[in-house]
Amino acid sequence: MKGVSRWAGLGALAVFLAVLPQALPNNYYVDIAVLAGFNAIICVGLNLLIGYAGQISLGHAGFFGLGAYCSAVLVTHHGWPPVLALLAGAILVGLIAFAIARPILKLKGHYLAMATLGIGIIISIVINTEAGITGGPDGIAAGPFTLGGFTLQGERDWYWVVAGLLLLTIWLATNLVDSPVGRALRALHGSEVGAEVVGVDTTRYKVMVFVVSAVIASVAGSLFAHYVPQLTPTKADFFKSIELVTMVVFGGMASTFGALVGAAFLTTLPQFLTVFEDYEPIILGGIMMGTMIFMPRGLVPTIAAFIQRRRS
Amino acid sequence: MTLLRVENLSKEFGGIHAVSELSFVINPGTIHSIIGPNGAGKTTLFNLITGVYTPSLGAILFDDKSTAGKAPYELAKRGMSRTFQNLQIFFNMTAIENVMVGRHLHLDRRFLPSLLRLPGIAKSDALAREKSAELMRFVGLEAYLDADADAMPYGALKRLEIARALAAEPKLLLLDEPAAGLNATESREIDEVIVKVAQSGVTVVLVEHDMKMVMGISDHILVLDYGKKLAEGTPAEVRNNPAVVAAYLGGAHA
Repeated sequence: MKGVSRWAGLGALAVFLAVLPQALPNNYYVDIAVLAGFNAIICVGLNLLIGYAGQISLGHAGFFGLGAYCSAVLVTHHGWPPVLALLAGAILVGLIAFAIARPILKLKGHYLAMATLGIGIIISIVINTEAGITGGPDGIAAGPFTLGGFTLQGERDWYWVVAGLLLLTIWLATNLVDSPVGRALRALHGSEVGAEVVGVDTTRYKVMVFVVSAVIASVAGSLFAHYVPQLTPTKADFFKSIELVTMVVFGGMASTFGALVGAAFLTTLPQFLTVFEDYEPIILGGIMMGTMIFMPRGLVPTIAAFIQRRRS
Repeated sequence: MTLLRVENLSKEFGGIHAVSELSFVINPGTIHSIIGPNGAGKTTLFNLITGVYTPSLGAILFDDKSTAGKAPYELAKRGMSRTFQNLQIFFNMTAIENVMVGRHLHLDRRFLPSLLRLPGIAKSDALAREKSAELMRFVGLEAYLDADADAMPYGALKRLEIARALAAEPKLLLLDEPAAGLNATESREIDEVIVKVAQSGVTVVLVEHDMKMVMGISDHILVLDYGKKLAEGTPAEVRNNPAVVAAYLGGAHA
């Protein structure tokens, strides 16, 4: 039964993504959809770490930025093919995440939040200051994404790539959650010692999910570098990390589709509130607080529980 | 042949001797109870045996191999499983998923096949679900097969922990106060479950305050007081031991 609902959710999303471009009046809206897609991909990965395994990261924009800059630098300065640069970025981020995960994930709660925050800030500072390589605050242009003579051009091309990648990420995430690996992750969230005594190597699983979520952010970053005309360090900064966490918390922790909805909503919202641009951090903070107070489980799980209550 | 050998075990917490110079053995296929007043060191002993705490001194041999420096999950691999006095339920999961986590060591848990949900994973998951449902029925939880763990009453959660521990198919099962907070009827039902588990060949170590249960089902009893061994023997021997009576009645007028 669970298998059926998983395919139903994925199928419904595929249909929605397929018809969405027809409903978008111009490329400005397609652009927003693409940006929402990038955020959604990162959030689905981040949700594995935060929502399912119960570990916080306030530094994931750092991994996103690292992937993005790795691609931009390797392609522009060293002439690498974009796909290879993307893979190199993913491997580099995977190795860095792996190296820092073991010491960092021994920490809990506020301490883990502080440590990941520190990592994110360090990455952001390096990107800002190593101007010779990264272009500093001015940024860097990675150029178009090409693969075997085929070049991605315009928002609509990108839309299909990002939509496809989003579907793939969600499929993989839901597979993982509903497997012995995913149950081990959720179990260590529920009770670390309870999971240990039935044989779950909790440290190993925490490291694994941290690396997985970092690599997903890196891949999204690599593609993003080619999508935007100019990649700037703000995409890797502290505020971006907070934005990602807010998306996950707002959409619904431990809900893959919740992460998607949270990313879509919070990417779209500021576009329609441009008059309030200066107040964006305040609005974001307000949404975060409102979520924690009025629906601590997040939007999608709260609505799902409401529907279930109505039915029974 | 002994399953568990504890030699000269001590654990200190900042000058307090929670367990001191304790030695005993546990033979396979028996129900072994550990009793003693509150603060006697029973739960500390469980935490030492299962690798949650590191001993200050002494050795623990499980299956003739030292457990020194082994994490709880490594000891679980060698056939040890336990429940907790303070529940360690995964409240973010359903009841049956709690038990399925207990199957962890017996399932294909490689990363890539899980990520791609290869047919083998789906199949073994279905089997694990069946097996877990069977275990829930075995401990009397058939009414909670579709329940979320956070919607279950205390008595049912106690049993859920037993089902989860059994799902790991342990050689040695340590139960920390399985009857605490249960009414008389529920206690008798837990009795039956424990006896059935022991009959299936699992060695059971029990920490319990319910003396009716302890005296009724134990093959062997170890009495602790202030972290030291006060007495040891069959239920009849322990019941008639003057030192035990004194410790429990609080005087030397036995």
